[in-house]
Amino acid sequence: MHNLLDFFIKYSKWFVFIIYVVISCILLVNNNPYQHYIYLTSANKVSSLVFKASNSVTSYFYLHDINEDLQRRNASLEQEVINLRHQIKAYREEIQADSLRMDSTLMPFDYILAGVISNSVSRAHNYLTIEKGALDSIKPEMGVVDQNGVVGIVNVVGDHSARVISLLNPKMRLSCKVKGREYFGSLVWDGKSPHEALLEEMPRHERFKKGDTIVTSGYSAVFPPDIPVGTIISHEKEHDDNFYALRIKLFTDFTTLSTVRVIRNSMIDELNMIKEGEEND
Amino acid sequence: MTKTIIQFAILTVVLILAQAMVFNNICLFNVAVPFVFIYVLVRLPLNLSVNWVLTIGFLTGLSVDIFANTQGMNALACTILAMSRRNVLHLYFPREDELTDPEPSAKSLGLDVYMKYLFTLVLLYCAVIFLIEACSFFDPVRLGLRIVCSSVLSFLLLLGLDSVLSRHD
Repeated sequence: MHNLLDFFIKYSKWFVFIIYVVISCILLVNNNPYQHYIYLTSANKVSSLVFKASNSVTSYFYLHDINEDLQRRNASLEQEVINLRHQIKAYREEIQADSLRMDSTLMPFDYILAGVISNSVSRAHNYLTIEKGALDSIKPEMGVVDQNGVVGIVNVVGDHSARVISLLNPKMRLSCKVKGREYFGSLVWDGKSPHEALLEEMPRHERFKKGDTIVTSGYSAVFPPDIPVGTIISHEKEHDDNFYALRIKLFTDFTTLSTVRVIRNSMIDELNMIKEGEEND
Repeated sequence: MTKTIIQFAILTVVLILAQAMVFNNICLFNVAVPFVFIYVLVRLPLNLSVNWVLTIGFLTGLSVDIFANTQGMNALACTILAMSRRNVLHLYFPREDELTDPEPSAKSLGLDVYMKYLFTLVLLYCAVIFLIEACSFFDPVRLGLRIVCSSVLSFLLLLGLDSVLSRHD
């Protein structure tokens, strides 16, 4: 017994070392993004407090870029409003008798505005933290966009803050299509640049032009269809020769994110119920 | 003794916050990321028991992980760094009992030995971190480039930090 105790004391540093390595490896390997303990992520109380404090200073640095983006967006929206007014006028003249009202279920998506308090673009798996949480009715698996395009999906939610898986994270796959066509593929980040990503599994027989716009397909309940994502830069062949991969320049500038919109889908419970029903059959 | 403990505690907290808020956002030329908080592990006194060094290393790494959302990555690298610290020092300075001051520094080791010691530790740390990252994307050229560039950047920053801190001693 005495010898055993001596043995443990003599080699205690190896035991301590092995224990810590095992704990770290468990944390590393156990990386299902939806099953983290909240206190081990940046959505916990202390770190969200620290990030909020530093963000109150740094958020001013990007105002110039954001302003420019907003002005561009504003201009295009104004143009759209004018076009739509024109159309509405034309339609009114066409069908005066029709007095059907829009049903609220036809517009299932609405937005919650949230400030970004921490963000990363340089790691292999990037996340961002926003300053709205469960008390602002944010739930996991809600989509997040900004004024330019898609940003990511919420995954861990605290009371006042939430962590979002950025599009710059290989764990995130986004169903996208080329605007105006029916073929869709999945968008995934390859870790090379924070401004580019790959659209994989595009059929080989289709021809795509440089500069074509990529939008969300709307085949999931997370993002509505036709949210802009990016433009095509070049073609790349995949390992499997039946498919193309397209290199995409992303519209969202992840290096200067400051305010984002979280998409709430009022139909999500109904859709999930239907999906469960499908699986049970 | 108490003064040293308080000094190290303050240094640790300040470096973790600096890493979380400033240095984690830096990525020069999309390859070089600076790691400054490992300075604590470099400077811990040599007469401190290895179990303590390991514990401090693990907890420091874990705190940085929490801020950066990199579960376990820095914790693992810090634990390995804490374990190999003394062996690295023995490579360049075999006679530990001749040390005047238990804290490894440019004064107690001599500048050239200290610089070699510091650079080896930083290189080791960056190698571990980026090898773990390489499990997601494997690209050998980029991996090597990231390891070397990040090591050089961190090394230069730590030397700067060193000269600022030692002036107050």
